[in-house]
Amino acid sequence: MTIAPENTETEVPEGHVKLVVDGEEVIAPEGELLIRTAERLGTVIPRFCDHPLLDPAGACRQCLVEVEMNGRPMPKPQASCTMTVADGMVVKTQKSSRVAEKAQEGVMELLLINHPLDCPICDKGGECPLQNQAMAHGRSTSRFVDTKRTFPKPISISTQVLLDRERCVLCQRCTRFSDQIAGDPFIDLLERGVHQQIGTAETADIHNSASHTSSGTPFQSYFSGNTIQICPVGALTSAAYRFRSRPFDLVSSPSVCEHCSSGCALRTDFRRGKVMRRLAGDDPDVNEEWSCDKGRFAFRYAAAKDRIRKPMVRDESGELVEASWTEALRRAADALVAARESNGAGVLTGGRLTVEDAYAYTKFARITLRSNDIDFRARPHSAEELDFLASSVVGTTPEHVSYASLEKASAVLCVAFEPEDESPIVFLRLRKAARDKGTKVFHIGQWTTSSVRKTFGELLACEPGGEAAAVDGIAEHAKDLDAALSSDDAVVLVGDRAAEVPGLFGAVTRLAERTGTRVAWVPRRAGERGALEAGAVPTLLPGGAPVSDASARATLETSWGLDSGTMPAEPGRDTAAMLAAAASGELDALVVGGVDPDDLPDPAAAREALANVGFVLSLEMRPSAVTEHADVVLPIAPVDEKTGTFLDWEGRVRPFSITLEGTGALPDCRVLDTLAVEMDADLFTQTAQAAWSDFSRSRVVSAHQGSNPDQHSRPAASTPDTPDGTVRLATWRQLIDNGSLQVEEPHLAGTARDAVLRMSAATAERHGVTRGERATISTERGALTLPVEFTDLPDDVVWAPARSPESIRSVLGAGHGASVALSGGAR
Amino acid sequence: MTQVPESTVFDADIHAKATEIIGRYPEARSALLPMLHLVQSVQGYVSQEGISFCAEKLDLTDAEVSAVATFYTMYKRKPCGEHLVSVCTNTLCAAMGGDAIYKKLQDHLGENGTPLGHEETAGTPGETGSITLEHAECLAACDLAPVLQVNYEYFDNQTEQSAVELVDALRKGERPQPTRGASLTDLKSVELQLAGFFPEDEQFATDVDGPSAAEETLRGAKLAQERGWVAPAMRDEETR
Amino acid sequence: MGMFDPLKGFGVTFATMFKKVVTEQYPEDFYPSAPRWHGRHQLNRHPDGLEKCVGCELCAWACPADAIFVEGADNTEEERYSPGERYGFDYQINYLRCIGCGLCIEACPTRSLTMVNFYELADDDRRKLIYTKEDLMAPLLPGMEEPPHPMRLGENEQDYYVQGPELARGRGVPEGETVETSKEEAIQ
Repeated sequence: MTIAPENTETEVPEGHVKLVVDGEEVIAPEGELLIRTAERLGTVIPRFCDHPLLDPAGACRQCLVEVEMNGRPMPKPQASCTMTVADGMVVKTQKSSRVAEKAQEGVMELLLINHPLDCPICDKGGECPLQNQAMAHGRSTSRFVDTKRTFPKPISISTQVLLDRERCVLCQRCTRFSDQIAGDPFIDLLERGVHQQIGTAETADIHNSASHTSSGTPFQSYFSGNTIQICPVGALTSAAYRFRSRPFDLVSSPSVCEHCSSGCALRTDFRRGKVMRRLAGDDPDVNEEWSCDKGRFAFRYAAAKDRIRKPMVRDESGELVEASWTEALRRAADALVAARESNGAGVLTGGRLTVEDAYAYTKFARITLRSNDIDFRARPHSAEELDFLASSVVGTTPEHVSYASLEKASAVLCVAFEPEDESPIVFLRLRKAARDKGTKVFHIGQWTTSSVRKTFGELLACEPGGEAAAVDGIAEHAKDLDAALSSDDAVVLVGDRAAEVPGLFGAVTRLAERTGTRVAWVPRRAGERGALEAGAVPTLLPGGAPVSDASARATLETSWGLDSGTMPAEPGRDTAAMLAAAASGELDALVVGGVDPDDLPDPAAAREALANVGFVLSLEMRPSAVTEHADVVLPIAPVDEKTGTFLDWEGRVRPFSITLEGTGALPDCRVLDTLAVEMDADLFTQTAQAAWSDFSRSRVVSAHQGSNPDQHSRPAASTPDTPDGTVRLATWRQLIDNGSLQVEEPHLAGTARDAVLRMSAATAERHGVTRGERATISTERGALTLPVEFTDLPDDVVWAPARSPESIRSVLGAGHGASVALSGGAR
Repeated sequence: MTQVPESTVFDADIHAKATEIIGRYPEARSALLPMLHLVQSVQGYVSQEGISFCAEKLDLTDAEVSAVATFYTMYKRKPCGEHLVSVCTNTLCAAMGGDAIYKKLQDHLGENGTPLGHEETAGTPGETGSITLEHAECLAACDLAPVLQVNYEYFDNQTEQSAVELVDALRKGERPQPTRGASLTDLKSVELQLAGFFPEDEQFATDVDGPSAAEETLRGAKLAQERGWVAPAMRDEETR
Repeated sequence: MGMFDPLKGFGVTFATMFKKVVTEQYPEDFYPSAPRWHGRHQLNRHPDGLEKCVGCELCAWACPADAIFVEGADNTEEERYSPGERYGFDYQINYLRCIGCGLCIEACPTRSLTMVNFYELADDDRRKLIYTKEDLMAPLLPGMEEPPHPMRLGENEQDYYVQGPELARGRGVPEGETVETSKEEAIQ
């Protein structure tokens, strides 16, 4: 009898190969790098240059392994980070091969030859891949007895990144990140041989013939902080975090970025009750492993000296003085009850709230103030926008449009949206999609911005204010785009600047209906999407049902435990209307949570309203233009000191828990809950958890999703003529400007883009402006003078940053699409 | 990317030449090396202005251009003299006297007892008779060792004496005839040639097109031919 | 019990009266401890008075009792406390926690932290037992200068570290007296 040998051959699936790693048979997808295959088996091959999100480079040579192909060993050890798997390959890592082990030890010894013994004073010490891997895979002694090569100690390659060239192992992670991911190749490998070093045009030893000094552009990238994080040695360090602490002092807590609607996962590291630094968290669905510099570096506002820590009330002499919670709440409650019984009170919430806090404001307005006068939009807004939000945005989840769908999209159209400045992670994902997957990115804007260039995009230039006409004209004038948008996976991204363009939301809706493309709204602030969902708008209830829907109101009354018919049925006023009403005495009180009047459509009118209204309750962290007029100021907690949830632009839930415990700072939801109790109402939002569960229970999703934006659509016809001598203004905020959450960050501020006035050469000539000099834009309200730069803007259009440094709205009283006078020189 | 103010260093002709160079390549970035030579032909070295000029023309960042300019030794980053004297100090030339020649020239061209360093200039850069001295890696003329080059033209079989005579002549503003190849011009003109722009005159054409191989170079080949020596066949061919 | 036993006891007492007294009259009489006794910590100085501590926190990391707190900061050319880039901006040892094990001394990469013989570490107030940098810094010997000041010894860093002690003697720092072994009197 013969026994047939058992068939132990494992099936190799399609698109996979079979190889042997350290004597173990393994099936790997074609194209996988050896280093990853080994990792899947639990073998960590030491490496420096390899990074899963960067293209392979094979620069550091640390990951050498022995490879055998078709029974023939390769003559030399191979870099496993650049070699892909192949069928029949036999790989021996340091685990099973003395050759590989020795090669790795040799490379490590070489890398350490010129590496200084800085570990005790190096910011990377304790979390350093070089340190760790030298311990794990290095020789225990060095045979090098000569003098190490030295460079002058750290040079700053930007105000926030310091470079210590002695420590560098030339892995090129930083240059590859800047080139591939961020698209800002402002650092590169300079010199050659033993002098090879990382540097910028500024640090390169190249002389300026005029000044006889080195000059050139520093590392001015919005994403430069990531290079610090991925540097596997201490060569790139943060100027702000320099020598602040050692990794083993730090307590790390996962957090979510509060700066924009990208919703980045972060890691907040603190020591003795003080946040020391923030790093990008790893969330493949959202920010991958990156974050922008604003999210990484702008956190000191919470520790600012002028932080409001105690309630304040205005005394008889008109001064704000510290008061007890009891007294402050009593004063606020009395005034708000009086206002409610008289003309009413309005709620302005700003765009920085967590969902829980926004929900507490919603309940506070509806239950305690018995009014729908609540609006989160502390920026230019329109009724049309509200309709669009109600019909197309509220209730959407990442299943509608997500980061993943941007990556998969064949075409993405950005309308009135500047990704790099307004949502940097969306920008990174668009760049990745365009670079790796060939996604076509189109931008409807005014000039070839860095976002357009770095997403390999195509600009459909239009006048500011003419975006609606441009969208409507796609079918006729941009047939390729029209065809691209008609495919299943195309996406349209609309920025919050769209609210300033009459008819744009209507045009976008029409486009979506015609082509079937999906539309997503990317607001600039972190809290806007959540506030919308929580019902912090005059026309919608939590969950998105319209206020005017009686059955939705009834449902909500039941879940909120209110008497039937007590919910106000009339849609409320929006931000501008509330401010107008407050100024004219139609509202008696305003509850303001973190609004900067300079961001509002008309800052002057807003200040006037705040000054004129009978009572202002301000919930604030730091003194602002609102606290100047406030009668009662209640301190609230920054994100580090509270638990909460943001909704990012996708509608993805981004919960985070408290980082610094026991500071005594209270979140808005708790403060409002207590205030409501003073006014004999229960909000059930004592804690973020309570608020969230109440919110999840109470959201009323309406069957019909709002009304068509066309209802309030203003004519999208041709933009009005500009009077003689005037030009049309295009403007938006740059990522790093003088926003209130960026205070006390001089290092970050140093990497802000220059504030310049952009115009075409023809426009300049027509208005007597010379390149390189200063020019002034003005209205009756005021004038703004900035240096001029020539850009491919349409004729008679100028672009200026909205808050760098001054708020263009405060100075000129004008926004995107307005007519302004242009003249050369300073005024 | 930052905009560079309208360059005053580079005139319309150079802008036109830059456009021509870029036109030679399917990808703009490929034009960087000749572009840097072009820049050097104007200023005699690569300055920050030159970097910005190339970056702007090729849609690169200053850092990317700096990376290339600092990598290659043929791009000088300090103002150079009228002539560039390169002494080969690689193994064969060094052993045959290249090191001694280099040392001699350093001392000879140095002032006040300080020898002239690598890439330093005797005289005021740019003026007639000024010389920048460098030690070079292999100049590919080992059979004629020790060699030196003036503006990349060969002076073969040098001695300390002949090298000193050569630089003295250059210092006086003379232009001795190189051992082979075209006649001597100055560094800036040669840089323009390296950028791909050649003088129109016939003399230059004959100089460049004529045989430039020295007798020594061909001696081995000639001997082999006379004696009928051939190289052994490749192993693959053998087995075939 | 024999009848003379009680007297034997007195005999011991009587005999002891003629022996050498071993009782130490502390605190009236102060006896120096053994030379290598692990007493209070000291933060040493370079021969020109600059601090040796670089604020690396390795002592804090090594401490099994979590008694040490350190925070580093950046030296600038205008305000230099130690040679190199970093100095110990804040340095605290909590003697209520310290167990005198000396692991911190072993961890110190610059030999900044050593222990002196001083052992009177008792007080009636908890707060007084948290010693700060001012309490722990070694005294200034003749020829030394209170930081901040630039590196005074030699032309460059090589000189400073290699020739430092020799150059310091020229400035009047006593010979044979490195800072780490400075005498008890100097400390008090």
